[in-house]
Amino acid sequence: MKFSLLQQSYMNRRSGSFRGASAPLDSSTDNTIKSPAAIFWLVLHGLCCLISLLLGFRFSRLVFFFLFSTSTTTTLYVTAPFRPLTETTAISSPLTNSVNDLPVRIPVINKTVSSSSRVVVGRHGIRIRPWPHPNPSEVMKAHQIIETVQREQRVQFGVKSPRTLIVVTPTYVRTFQTLHLTGVMHSLMLLPYDVVWIVVEAGGVTNETASIIAKSGVKTRHIGFNQKMPNSWEGRHRLETKMRLRALRVVREEKMDGIVMFADDSNMHSMELFDEIQNVKWFGAVSVGIIAHSGVEENLPNPAMPVQGPACNASNKLVGWHTFNSLPYEGKSAVYIDDRATVLPRKLEWAGFVLNSRLLWKEAEDKPEWVKDFDLVGENIESPLALLKDPFMVEPLGSCGRQVLLWWLRVEARADSKFPPGWIIDPPLEITVPSKRTPWPDAPPELPSSEKITINQEQTVKRSSKTRSPRSKRRSKRKHEAKLVETQVSARRSEQN
Amino acid sequence: MGSLERSKKKVQLWKKAIVHFGLCFVMGFFTGFAPAGKASFFSSHVVASSKSQSLPQPVEMLHQQAASTPHAGYLNRSLIAESPMSTPSRSTESERAKFSEKEEETEPKFPPRRLAVIVTPISAKDPYQGVFLRRLANTIRLVPPPLLWIVVEGQSESDEVSEILRKTGIMYRHLVFRENFTDPEAELDHQRNVALRHIEQHRLSGIVHFAGLSNFYDLGFFDELRQIEVFGTWPMALLSANKNKVIIEGPVCDSSQVIGWHLKIMNNETDTKPPIHISSFGFNSSILWDPERWGRPSSVQQTSQNSIKFVKQVALEDETKLKGIPPEDCSKIMLWRLNLSISKSTSY
Amino acid sequence: MEIRKWVFVGVIWYAGFVLSIGAVELGRSQHTERISGSAGDVLEDDPVGRLKVFVYELPSKYNKKILQKDPRCLTHMFAAEIFMHRFLLSSPVRTLNPAEADWFYTPVYTTCDLTPNGLPLPFKSPRMMRSAIQLISSNWPYWNRTEGADHFFVVPHDFGACFHYQEEKAIERGILPLLQRATLVQTFGQRNHVCLKDGSITVPPYAPPQKMQTHLIPEKTPRSIFVYFRGLFYDVGNDPEGGYYARGARAAVWENFKDNPLFDISTEHPATYYEDMQRAVFCLCPLGWAPWSPRLVEAVIFGCIPVIIADDIVLPFADAIPWEEIGVFVDEKDVPNLDTILTSIPPEVILRKQRLLANPSMKQAMLFPQPAQAGDAFHQVLNGLARKLPHDRSVYLKSGEKLLNWTAGPVGDLKPW
Repeated sequence: MKFSLLQQSYMNRRSGSFRGASAPLDSSTDNTIKSPAAIFWLVLHGLCCLISLLLGFRFSRLVFFFLFSTSTTTTLYVTAPFRPLTETTAISSPLTNSVNDLPVRIPVINKTVSSSSRVVVGRHGIRIRPWPHPNPSEVMKAHQIIETVQREQRVQFGVKSPRTLIVVTPTYVRTFQTLHLTGVMHSLMLLPYDVVWIVVEAGGVTNETASIIAKSGVKTRHIGFNQKMPNSWEGRHRLETKMRLRALRVVREEKMDGIVMFADDSNMHSMELFDEIQNVKWFGAVSVGIIAHSGVEENLPNPAMPVQGPACNASNKLVGWHTFNSLPYEGKSAVYIDDRATVLPRKLEWAGFVLNSRLLWKEAEDKPEWVKDFDLVGENIESPLALLKDPFMVEPLGSCGRQVLLWWLRVEARADSKFPPGWIIDPPLEITVPSKRTPWPDAPPELPSSEKITINQEQTVKRSSKTRSPRSKRRSKRKHEAKLVETQVSARRSEQN
Repeated sequence: MGSLERSKKKVQLWKKAIVHFGLCFVMGFFTGFAPAGKASFFSSHVVASSKSQSLPQPVEMLHQQAASTPHAGYLNRSLIAESPMSTPSRSTESERAKFSEKEEETEPKFPPRRLAVIVTPISAKDPYQGVFLRRLANTIRLVPPPLLWIVVEGQSESDEVSEILRKTGIMYRHLVFRENFTDPEAELDHQRNVALRHIEQHRLSGIVHFAGLSNFYDLGFFDELRQIEVFGTWPMALLSANKNKVIIEGPVCDSSQVIGWHLKIMNNETDTKPPIHISSFGFNSSILWDPERWGRPSSVQQTSQNSIKFVKQVALEDETKLKGIPPEDCSKIMLWRLNLSISKSTSY
Repeated sequence: MEIRKWVFVGVIWYAGFVLSIGAVELGRSQHTERISGSAGDVLEDDPVGRLKVFVYELPSKYNKKILQKDPRCLTHMFAAEIFMHRFLLSSPVRTLNPAEADWFYTPVYTTCDLTPNGLPLPFKSPRMMRSAIQLISSNWPYWNRTEGADHFFVVPHDFGACFHYQEEKAIERGILPLLQRATLVQTFGQRNHVCLKDGSITVPPYAPPQKMQTHLIPEKTPRSIFVYFRGLFYDVGNDPEGGYYARGARAAVWENFKDNPLFDISTEHPATYYEDMQRAVFCLCPLGWAPWSPRLVEAVIFGCIPVIIADDIVLPFADAIPWEEIGVFVDEKDVPNLDTILTSIPPEVILRKQRLLANPSMKQAMLFPQPAQAGDAFHQVLNGLARKLPHDRSVYLKSGEKLLNWTAGPVGDLKPW
């Protein structure tokens, strides 16, 4: 109770002091009496001023405490004048706005329940700020914070002192190149460590490829290989091996230091793969998920994805290899790149291997015994295992091959497929449907109205013009009478060239 | 001096004193309102004196104070906690060393950009959803912020999708719906509607684009996407395995003005597939929740639950607002779609 | 001259009055200050050897039988009261000789009275507590020696020993008169509130440690959510007009930030709730009906910087945990500026808070694991009790002296249990 009394007395005082404050301030200027008594009074006066200052401060803290500690009346956006709370036990009728209609709602109904508690129980305002949308520069700041946090996480929990990654990719210009190569490139662009990307291109360096990999922002080496990519899968595999060996020779000659991985442009990577292969000491193997598809629709039940990679025993020792079972595809597998049949992987795909680049060097400290000299390895090898004297020295990575972090999908267009160079349509496409008539079907059968369609006079439209009916939720069973105009348009294939 | 005059003077003196006391009291009072957690007397004194000029208008001052509180309040609250800010610069320095210039280049202050909302429906029926999701995530991760990726998935036992998404570091919302569908088309539409409902409920403001799992992007695409004001559309290439046809569909433009459409043919008239692919247009999300802004009387809720149809319809009406991208005659293809029979459900 | 005198007297009286109130306020706010510099120091204290606790042997109707009736009591937010009992029974600080005990503990499960929906309703609690105190005061001499000043009680309910779930009623009731001299171990904490008396120990709400453990994800999982919150914004059932629940703060969060892509806020609890917290930078911990919520514990465990929106909250073990440094405090009135407030925190400060949050002793102090582990919340309670020792001589009453009024309080509370 005494607090409320205080409050009231405060109110009186406050209004009094306001009046005082607005009284002319120059009243002090006429003070010219200079005597010890006057000085004493002046000091006393000053002291009293100081005391009242302190009191005012103390008091306002208290009031502040009462009124605002439980967050009530004054808000940032109050338009109503500051209405101090007195102890109200009767609840006046609350403002009954719904939540959304008013930007600012500050109900001023509160009651202090207990005389011994300073807690204000009751209704409080829901503060809704007048500006509806986040400030874009704050959004960017938040993203910067997130980025900083993520970077710190990488520093703390990521790979410690990562080695340079040397990525070997054989490629050649074809319809699917952009699609495949950008996928691999995006994975590489995300890597937080140094990357050297060696792109070996069959048929020589082209602008087509160069313009794609130029966007990567990673260190790239674009090497031409003057042999055309053959049209058979067998031939392609063989040539790709040669291209990879070519890249390895560059690594050897330039004594590039790091981890060599083979990223085919038809691979898809989980980002965890890159952290995992940092663990390789000399020569490692990871599992590759094989996406075997035939290009024709099959109604096969989805079997578990075949996996190619190291096989371990219970004690995580390498005992052999999971290979792709090609038996079900006997005679049905693709021979030529444009066959409509399942493309099979080799016995072991290169993509499943990673190695320390020092293995390739002519001379390197503590280079293991079980590695063949790179110069003695011929051109016609099946897999990187041929680089080793003892294939069981391979380190199985990715929880001993149980984790699949890398996938292999071979899909190509027909060899005679054409695409606009640089994917720039020139000359422009021919119009099959003129503007003013968007090609979206205006209404699938159940949507009641399809209004305001400017009918193109060139087309005969079987649409019965409908009156604008107000949209309703009623599901109209009307037949799909609004036949699409474009179906009558000459059957023009859109492919270029 | 006459006693009358004396008493008069006395009264005046008292008046003056009271005025001063009152003044000081008010000063103290307002100082007290300065939101200082540990405000020492002296620091608050300084504040008071600096504000004393505005004393004659105490009411205004209160407002002023109130207006300044959020900021001051914040300073107090968190800066006190932050004061031992001499954080070991270990991390910042070592990380500078560790992360090459590449990182540094992308670092400099992000200019404010428009929000891109990417919607990706995924279906558990696709055995390779995880693989394609990871690939798409690698692309989206490279898109400069702000970007919100809305992934819509049917309820499933496996947490494969959540796990993949979690590791990407992308700001995403993973929406899960309970309904079961037999028709993959209907499921896709439902998924898109779930995403649009989320956008509508949250009144997210940005450019919405539907990115299927089999979409492949040139990163420049997302810059162009952000240029869209209301509606945008672009050409897209559809690549199928073992065909010699590259199908390009989309707008034909004069500069960024759409003057016509290029479509793949429809084989039969009963085909209900929309001839323009859902991935080949983007729109400003505010048409979902703020139709008045675009001169439309109704919002989605009033028409139907089918937001995706609504969006198409709006596009239909507002062709003038349709913008072809990239603005150079829409001639550059920045989006490819892989048509694989195995991921048929998502290729669409 | 008379006026002058009068004014002087007035001023002095007034000064004395105001300053004395100020002193009370100051005294109250002081007990959140930390005892020592860094969190680890105090949190890693070993209470063993620093205090001895005597556990009263009560008939099982006060504890075990109640639990048998409703095993759900083991999993709700107030389960600390049961686990504390179990812990003390096997703790090395327990003494069987009451003569050498520093503290006396009465194992009574007052909050284990759940509605069919699992909501704890403390209607019977006052009578039950009273009955238990009556029992110990007549069977042992120790209560009467101090009238409870060396006894502690675990009262984890919404408003602690006020024993009511509605704040208004709780305030009206006040702390149960019989417990006015005892030390209360409670979840509720708000400064200047009748339901929090001086010297109480604020503990974290109970959150299931095993369950949280199974949802831990690797720390390297990139944090990609800026602000995360799952829970109610409006409690339409209990507060149809809005503005009572959470004092309007949660509603303000929704109304102002639902359209902000940085704010991942929703009422739907996803299956990945715990995982999502681990990939958020900030986790909102706004008040609900009471100032605290289990989110506080979850945020600390999952390394998400808690954004505490609850004016005057007294946080668990505030004397040992540097909440100001690990969390962000936002006044309820500042909720509309939450985005500005959070984005203007310098990144170094955020990293520092995260580093502090990663401190395992901080996480440990938030949990009530089974079995107990060094440094967990049980041990922090004991540490808190040990720090209050030795008891001031003045707590011991002269023989025959009575301070407590056994007939105070609502009539309903006086009925036998």
